[in-house]
Amino acid sequence: MALSGRFRSALVIGGQGIRARKLRTFLSMLSLFLGVLAVVTVQAGAEIANRALLSDIELTQGKDGSVTAYLQSFEGSSEIIEETLRGQSDVVAATSVQAIVGEPDVKPVNPGGSPIDQTDMYSSGGSMICDNRGCRPTEDATRPPGQAVEMRLTGLGGDIRPIRPLQLESGRWLEFGGEPSLAPSLVLNRAAAKAFERYRVPAEMRVGDSRTHATPRIVGVVNDGGQAPAAYVRADELANWQPATSNQNSSVELSYWPSSERLVQTLEARLSAAGMQGDIYRRVADSREHIGGQLDLMRMIFLGMAALVLLIGVAGILNVGLATVGERVEEFALRRAVGTPRLLLAGIVLAETLIIGLLTAAAAVGAGVVGLEMASRLFGAREPMLQNVAFPWQAGVAGVIAGVVAGVLGGLLPAIRAARIPIATVMRA
Amino acid sequence: MSTPLIQLTGLTKTLKGQGEPRPILSGVDLTVRAGESVAILGRSGSGKSTMLSVIGLFDRPDGGQYLLHGDDISRVPERRAARLRSTEFGFVFQRFFLLKHLSAMQNVAMALVNGQGWHARRKRRDKVMAALEQVGIAHLAKQKPQRLSGGEQQRVAIARALVREPRVLLADEPTGALDTETGALVIDVLHAATDRGCGLILVTHDHAHANRMQRVVRLADGVLVQERQQGVLR
Ligand SMILES: Nc1ncnc2c1ncn2[C@@H]1O[C@H](COP(=O)(O)OP(=O)(O)O)[C@@H](O)[C@H]1O
Ligand SMILES: [Mg+2]
Repeated sequence: MALSGRFRSALVIGGQGIRARKLRTFLSMLSLFLGVLAVVTVQAGAEIANRALLSDIELTQGKDGSVTAYLQSFEGSSEIIEETLRGQSDVVAATSVQAIVGEPDVKPVNPGGSPIDQTDMYSSGGSMICDNRGCRPTEDATRPPGQAVEMRLTGLGGDIRPIRPLQLESGRWLEFGGEPSLAPSLVLNRAAAKAFERYRVPAEMRVGDSRTHATPRIVGVVNDGGQAPAAYVRADELANWQPATSNQNSSVELSYWPSSERLVQTLEARLSAAGMQGDIYRRVADSREHIGGQLDLMRMIFLGMAALVLLIGVAGILNVGLATVGERVEEFALRRAVGTPRLLLAGIVLAETLIIGLLTAAAAVGAGVVGLEMASRLFGAREPMLQNVAFPWQAGVAGVIAGVVAGVLGGLLPAIRAARIPIATVMRA
Repeated sequence: MSTPLIQLTGLTKTLKGQGEPRPILSGVDLTVRAGESVAILGRSGSGKSTMLSVIGLFDRPDGGQYLLHGDDISRVPERRAARLRSTEFGFVFQRFFLLKHLSAMQNVAMALVNGQGWHARRKRRDKVMAALEQVGIAHLAKQKPQRLSGGEQQRVAIARALVREPRVLLADEPTGALDTETGALVIDVLHAATDRGCGLILVTHDHAHANRMQRVVRLADGVLVQERQQGVLR
């Protein structure tokens, strides 16, 4: 009862205080609003940059904690891999070969499969073969130049996206259920799609030394984080028109989570029994750790900025709070004279700024959410970084903490002053 | 004889401003019984307000003894002092100290909304209206202070002092800012409160007002001197 009496009194007194100083309250809210909004913006920016950096690395190296294992294919290896991994989706085998898509029997626009924007720089390098008999132009180099793109073609044994989150940009992703199609479905990466568009490449495909030309269907485009042209295809569709002999120099990557290590060990044992040289090399993705240093520095800078901005907000509310106490000295002395405990008065002053701080923070976070949504809608098409960005909850938390901190710091000093007002001095006529 | 409401014995108080510490009260003796009215005279700066602020527990004495209903409250801690200010005392000042953003009603109600117990809105309203009625300005309940005359404002302040039904009213030159006629009206209102058994300590320069009190004392050189003792009959 005593507590509720105090609490209710505090509500009435605090409410009267805020209502009596609407403009003041509004101005102090404005300064804090801008401060918290800046904190939210900075934090959201850091999160988005962080996420973008991470997702780029995840695209090429796989999600954190996943394992990529590398092995060189050899006679009969693909059958063993296919047989061992059949009927499960935890370990995905990706077999990569060089392929040329476009006009038959011409030199591709990017010999060696280099990024097309760098073709001029590397064209000579890509067209030479060097071995113990000396250097000579590759077979392709002797052909007339034409509309064809050389790319890395990856045959997938299953859906790799749970580990390498390739981002679909248009069309659809490969379907791994059902029978393989005789006309292979291709999903290009961005660089390959750009090359196709720029050079108006007709769809015909040569794989390695194979003379069997297939007509692929391009079903989609993904962002795989790579700069060089690449394409993805179902492994069984790739095998349909790739002669068995030509897979000798292809490399195989296995992507999986550590929980599937046993299956990979089984596969390793079978491959060794079939004559594989050496071990399978494994790499665990640790992009967060890898880029940790960069992120830490970034975060420190952002934190410093946020702290500075917050300080400005606190200074604003503190200034207004102190000015208000100066004005309210008589009111506080009077309230103490009629029996209001000074702790309650201090609490009310603190609560007033705290509530103002919290409300303001909530408003600023709300504005941040709406602003990000709008930015995403307006500029998402041009800035892929802003596409589908969810509001980072860390920014919301940071905003609310900023509001509370500003409220406490900005209210504490005025509260102490309010509690210390000597009644006798003020009331002496 | 029953326990006196207020009993001060050898009360001292030294104030230290910017300059030398100055003894203001140097041995004040005073006894006030329930329902008794006392006028305090004294020239400006003699320490009348200082004495009231010690009696009203705004401040504590440096020495001597202060008994309230026989309880020694010379060294009472602030928490308890706040509660006593709320339950035992009503204050009226020369300046009215009304909160300008609140109506007359709300200004009176603020003495009830002080964190010492809680009255439901209905009860609060009834008490506030009764207090305003008692000082004769119930019809001005909704007005803000700046719409009221000086006398009306002081009566709002008196209603604020009375609304908790205190045992003693402390009035520090309540007519100092008012003309003679209005001042007399205010004294009437204070006087009426003593008829209901409330003690009254009135600081004033006006002998006419002082003479309406049961006793008159004078503060000089830090001590109280009896000026006139009046019988129970007035
Ligand atoms: N805070 C203070 N510090 C020091 N001296 C003070 C203070 N307040 C008042 N005084 C002095 O104390 C004396 C008594 O003041 P006060 O009690 O207000 O007198 P009165 O009410 O009788 O006019 C005055 O001389 C005044 O200047
Ligand atoms: Mg005085």
